[in-house]
Amino acid sequence: MINLRNVRKFYGALEVIKGVDITVEDGEFAVFVGPSGCGKSTLLRMIAGLEGIDEGDLVLNGQRINDVPPDKRGIAMVFQSYALYPHMTVAENIGFSLSLKKVPEAEIKEQVEGVAEILQLTDYLNRKPGALSGGQRQRVAIGRAIIKKPSLILFDEPLSNLDSALRVQMRAELQRLHRELKATVVYVTHDQVEAMTMADRIVVLNKGVVAQQGAPMELYHQPENEFVATFIGSPKMNVLPMTATRRDAGKVHLESPLGLAIDLSDANGAVPQGEAKLGIRPEHLKLAPQGQGDFSAEVVIVERLGVETYLTVGSQQQPIVVRTEGDMTIRPGDRVSLTAERAACHLFDSAGRVVRSAQA
Amino acid sequence: MAVISPSEGANKTRSDLIAYATLSIISIFCAVPFFWVLLASFDSNAQLFLRWPEQWTLANYVRVFTKEDGAKWLFNSLFVVGGATLIVMVLAGLGGYALSRTRAWWKLPFLYAILLIRVLPPTALVVPLYKFLLTLNNAEGAILRPIFGSYARDIMRWTGFIDGYLGIMLVLATMQLPLGLWIMKTFFDGLPRDYEEAAVMDGATMMQRIRRVLIPLAMPGLAAAGLFAFMSAWGDFLLPLIFLSSPELQTLPLGLFRAFLRINEIDYGLLTALAFIYLLPAVVAFGFARRFLVQTFSGGVKG
Amino acid sequence: MVRNSHEKRTERQLLLVLLPSLILLLAFVIYPALYSVYLSFTNEALTGAAALRPRFVGIRNYTRLLNDAKFWNSLFVTFVFVMGSAVIGQFLLGLISAIALRRPIRFRQFFSSIILLPNAAPEVVAGFMWISMLAGGEHATLSRIVAFFGIDPADWLNAFPLSMIIIVNTWRGIATAMILLTAGLSTIPSEIYEAARMDGATPSQMFRRITMPLMMPTILLYMLISAVSTIAVFGLVYALTRGGPGGATEVVSIYIYNQSFTAFQLGYGAAVAVVALLISLILGIGYVRAMKVEV
Repeated sequence: MINLRNVRKFYGALEVIKGVDITVEDGEFAVFVGPSGCGKSTLLRMIAGLEGIDEGDLVLNGQRINDVPPDKRGIAMVFQSYALYPHMTVAENIGFSLSLKKVPEAEIKEQVEGVAEILQLTDYLNRKPGALSGGQRQRVAIGRAIIKKPSLILFDEPLSNLDSALRVQMRAELQRLHRELKATVVYVTHDQVEAMTMADRIVVLNKGVVAQQGAPMELYHQPENEFVATFIGSPKMNVLPMTATRRDAGKVHLESPLGLAIDLSDANGAVPQGEAKLGIRPEHLKLAPQGQGDFSAEVVIVERLGVETYLTVGSQQQPIVVRTEGDMTIRPGDRVSLTAERAACHLFDSAGRVVRSAQA
Repeated sequence: MAVISPSEGANKTRSDLIAYATLSIISIFCAVPFFWVLLASFDSNAQLFLRWPEQWTLANYVRVFTKEDGAKWLFNSLFVVGGATLIVMVLAGLGGYALSRTRAWWKLPFLYAILLIRVLPPTALVVPLYKFLLTLNNAEGAILRPIFGSYARDIMRWTGFIDGYLGIMLVLATMQLPLGLWIMKTFFDGLPRDYEEAAVMDGATMMQRIRRVLIPLAMPGLAAAGLFAFMSAWGDFLLPLIFLSSPELQTLPLGLFRAFLRINEIDYGLLTALAFIYLLPAVVAFGFARRFLVQTFSGGVKG
Repeated sequence: MVRNSHEKRTERQLLLVLLPSLILLLAFVIYPALYSVYLSFTNEALTGAAALRPRFVGIRNYTRLLNDAKFWNSLFVTFVFVMGSAVIGQFLLGLISAIALRRPIRFRQFFSSIILLPNAAPEVVAGFMWISMLAGGEHATLSRIVAFFGIDPADWLNAFPLSMIIIVNTWRGIATAMILLTAGLSTIPSEIYEAARMDGATPSQMFRRITMPLMMPTILLYMLISAVSTIAVFGLVYALTRGGPGGATEVVSIYIYNQSFTAFQLGYGAAVAVVALLISLILGIGYVRAMKVEV
């Protein structure tokens, strides 16, 4: 089990990691995700030992490893560019760490062959990285990692160098490997689709802090703040500025300049008066018969994908994306009426914190 | 290559100190010889060996221009080397473009030839070159003398091949051409053809394309080629030694060399002042060329 | 290749543009080189009987060459000179400088400027600066430096001529080595070193098993370039020692010069020149191969 406790990092006077607490259980596939500059790669390198931890603790299996050198932590890393040694064969690449420790050649050979079999690299052992495809190179990088029998494997955006078809294939491969090896994995990516499809646990990072961590569906349905709500899920959740006033107890009335007026249940009275933001995902806005529904808007863009259709309605300053099942023959310029599914509405205060979650 | 880890903080500082130390030693080794030229040139009683001047003076520099032919040498060097540099820039600019864009059969042989030419030691070429230029010179003289009579000699000073500005400029330029062509070819290789193709669509002839589109784009490459040609030709000692003999045409390296060969007391103050004057343009050009050095050499390593 | 008339015209124009350069190179480099070869088969000279009526003498110059102790001496001296200054001196100091300058220390620009400075100095000036360093017995700057370490001064240029010119040429050429090697080092991605760190490599293991093997192409290229340019060195050595004392520093280029302009044996000098040309060409072909010329 890996624990980061109140970890901080400074570059000079600039604090880049601002008190981060993360737990990853054994055997979990944890994904650190976030926009560029959020600190996810820095955190990964701090876990690996390639960057120092200025404050806080990094605990692996009960031991504080802040000051342990990278090669003695029992952690292996797969780099974004794979960082394979270009002048060595696949076998030499995988066995490099063993040869550094002067392990006898026969034993290195045995272990390398074992690893190669798991990764289906046996036919390529004598090739050099230059003669391999992207997917094969990645497997060599993984092989180099698992031969060390690490307690934790780190992946630094391993799929971003691949083209999209290969990416989908490798995603499946990685998940298969994870199940087979029963390894603990920390995986860094900026792609929330990768996070959602592969992770047991997602840690969303934003500007050096953890915005939220949990299972993928938890983050999807119960985002704790506007950032996670809009980061997870594609297309993004619609966020509409509203004004909140209290009507009766347990209910709050919201009005938007667009003409949308709805009442939402607010059992705890947690919603403050005044400015609020309504969050609702495209699939929770439904087309209503003309004139009925919560509000109407003009269709600006129609994207027909066959199995579903995305409509962008409203104005340029406030576009709203609506997802409908099946194919729609609506044209830009048409006016549509829309209903918002009450139970799927989120409310955020002006600071972006959630004050009302979707009802389960 | 620095990989930081908390437990290696101390090692890192130690490695940095070693780096400082080695660089300092190497830098001192590189810099020390220059001190003499610097100090002695301002020394009123300069000696061959290094010493702190008892009396600082600018008299040495003044003497270079008044008592000696420093002005003439400086002018000759600037004129000859500058002219050669210009020739190289024009020819290498045009030729480099041709080499880059052509797909003819002679492209590869020509490129190989350029590389091989660069490895030829100049001393091996000097004698036949001298004979050849002598023949050309005599031929030129034979043509000019009937027309211009006694003025032919003066004209030959400018247009002659031996002991003439034209000859030395052409020879110096030729020696720098291979590198210049190579630099410009590599440069044009990296320039997308889009600009020229747009110009072709606009109806420009080749000369128009070269003048109005390519030259402005080629400035960085030309600057690099020009600087390298300048620095190399400026330091050339052998070619002026062989091909220039009359005193009016002597360039700085020759003046410097002869000043050192005086029979009686050598005037070290004068010598070092002259050396400093000779040194300055080369160092200045080098300062500008630094930016281009990495690019030029990287081009050779990328294979 | 589409050979329409527009393309053909373009190709002709390109050739035309290249023509002046071609003419100059043919006239001033190729022709003299070929003429040198021709000369080497004659007994042409500027003095003596042969001056008036030079004759074709076949390979007599070359056989004379093979029996000439001074020729073999010049080859030997040149070999030691190239080995000492290019292969060892410049390379080691250039490599150390290149590696040291990759570290994030301050004053990097300053250090690299100073190390590059000797290369900027014209040959003649470099020669004189070192004469001041080395000549004059106990007053020479070098003598005063080594006196600091308790070593006796000496007349350096006369006592250790070959070692001295090796030191001077090393001084002059560190820049080239450093630039080339820096370019080579920068082609190694830093992630590879991080991966090696994760694999548990010590700095010396990283250097031996990663840096050096990956640097081999660059090093080879450097060796060829520097060997070729060191063979061509003339002015620097001439200014320092004139090739003496007693031929101790008579590198090939000085030997050619002496034969042609002092002894005025043009034919013989040409023969030596041809040998030097051949050696350079062989190295040059290796250089061309290593450069992997792209069309």
